[in-house]
Amino acid sequence: MTAYDDPYLAGVGLGAVLLGAYVVVGHGLGASGAFASVVAAGTAAAVGTARASAMPAVAPYLPQGISSFLRDWFVLELVGVALGGFCSAWLGGRLRAGVERGPHVNNGQRMYAAIVGGVLMGVGAKFARGCTSGQALTGGALLSAGSWIFIATCFVSAYIVAPFARRLWQ
Amino acid sequence: MMPIRRVLAIVAATAGLAAAAAGPGSSERATLLAAEISAGADHISAPELADRIMRREPTLQIFDLRSASEYEQLHIATARQASIETLAREHPSADATIVLYSEGSTHAAQSWVLLRLRGYRHVYVLREGLYEWIARVLEPRLAVDATAAERAEFERAAEHSRFFGGVPLADVARSEVPVGYWTSGRTVPVDSTKQAVAGIRRRGC
Amino acid sequence: MTTPLTETGALGSVGELLVAPLIGFGFGWFLERGGLGHAPKLAGQFYLTDLTVFKVMFTALVTAMLGAFWLDQIGLLDLRLVYVPETFVVPQAVGGIVFGAGFLIGGLCPGTSCVAAATGRLDGLGVIGGMLAGIAVFNTMFDRIATFYQSTALGAVTLTDLAGVSRGLGVACITVMALAGFALAARLERVRR
Repeated sequence: MTAYDDPYLAGVGLGAVLLGAYVVVGHGLGASGAFASVVAAGTAAAVGTARASAMPAVAPYLPQGISSFLRDWFVLELVGVALGGFCSAWLGGRLRAGVERGPHVNNGQRMYAAIVGGVLMGVGAKFARGCTSGQALTGGALLSAGSWIFIATCFVSAYIVAPFARRLWQ
Repeated sequence: MMPIRRVLAIVAATAGLAAAAAGPGSSERATLLAAEISAGADHISAPELADRIMRREPTLQIFDLRSASEYEQLHIATARQASIETLAREHPSADATIVLYSEGSTHAAQSWVLLRLRGYRHVYVLREGLYEWIARVLEPRLAVDATAAERAEFERAAEHSRFFGGVPLADVARSEVPVGYWTSGRTVPVDSTKQAVAGIRRRGC
Repeated sequence: MTTPLTETGALGSVGELLVAPLIGFGFGWFLERGGLGHAPKLAGQFYLTDLTVFKVMFTALVTAMLGAFWLDQIGLLDLRLVYVPETFVVPQAVGGIVFGAGFLIGGLCPGTSCVAAATGRLDGLGVIGGMLAGIAVFNTMFDRIATFYQSTALGAVTLTDLAGVSRGLGVACITVMALAGFALAARLERVRR
């Protein structure tokens, strides 16, 4: 396995990709929006497109009905994210099936924490209109006020919760 | 620190600090120009223009954006004739004071935007064009029931008028005094310039 | 103004969709190379044992920020046509607090969870599943929180708009802050060693 890149160099690469997005498509990156799109499609599959389109939280993600997520820019972008991550790990010999966790929890506990963390992030990202990719990175580089509010509160919150969840990671 | 990190840090610091000294980006310029237009900073009044011509300001350039024949009939002293297109090909010096006027000021206003976007800082439009020039500089009129303020302004206008070979007239009926934004704020009809010029021509000027 | 390409007509809607996975590929590539697909590394940021998250994120932010600013200065990019997210002060603050807690507990964020899952990590799938569930929960309670959700809206304002200073000054301050942060990170790491 080759070591990870120098974080500063990886950061420059990431920033260049983000800049490329601004220049080519006039907006930045995102991730939580793609997840919301998928949830909308799932909701439409579960209760029917008509009922789903009547839900104000879901309707914006169904402009073309249940198949909207296939034409959602951010969903297609996330497919690329997975591919890019896979290729990079494959070429670097860093592919590894399994569960990554801290030394003092077992796989089951780690998976439980992953799910709980995911639920919180799903809710938080909806309120914040984005996540670390869409708000912190993309909006932050454009000096958006709300994005910087998100950066500050997100980091402070994580630092405050950290001592209580020490067993998960340390 | 590794060499590449040092390079990155220096580039970032330079680009970042230079940003503090940078002016508005090209995307902000349009917004700023719009604000100037809103605030009326794109206008110059006829009396002020007259002052500048009389002072023989060396950087002053006046462009008449009407047709060549209209220009021949009558134009502001020292003005040159141009069209929007020929003006786009002119290259005044960067610190020139450029004044534009046209029939109804549409072409003048459009050329104002074009010149400002090209980077010229001192560009002005004569708001009511030749009509204002005639009404306030060439042929000022003082009404019989004029106020003290109007009398004072007429004194100044009469000086201008004599310099430019015009005819100031006092003690006229109020209805003979031309109106514009400088009197009651009423807008001037579009063909007012033609009428004003025709008035002068009738006198065999 | 030649870019953004989609706003100047050089790239149509089909083209815009076609480049999405390409841009995403670059995103995922550099995330993985930086080690951000590895949950213990991400969590280490908040125990100050591994400051990679801060370094990668803020380097990326500053790079894109400086690049966009200067491209706009020289007229190659029209920043007015680049989408800036709208600000909702209190909902986004609350969202940040909840998200930050989830980030710490889950160890991965939405983007990096995809990288983790794609490179074989099951916990990545766990985070993905949790997020889908969390969004679904939000959707069901939306009616009750809709007013709060839309509150304290300021529109697509920037920090420099609110502070009344030039954009360039904001860019300079953020760059200086980030560089100072990197210097601090280096000192922290030296102390640990």
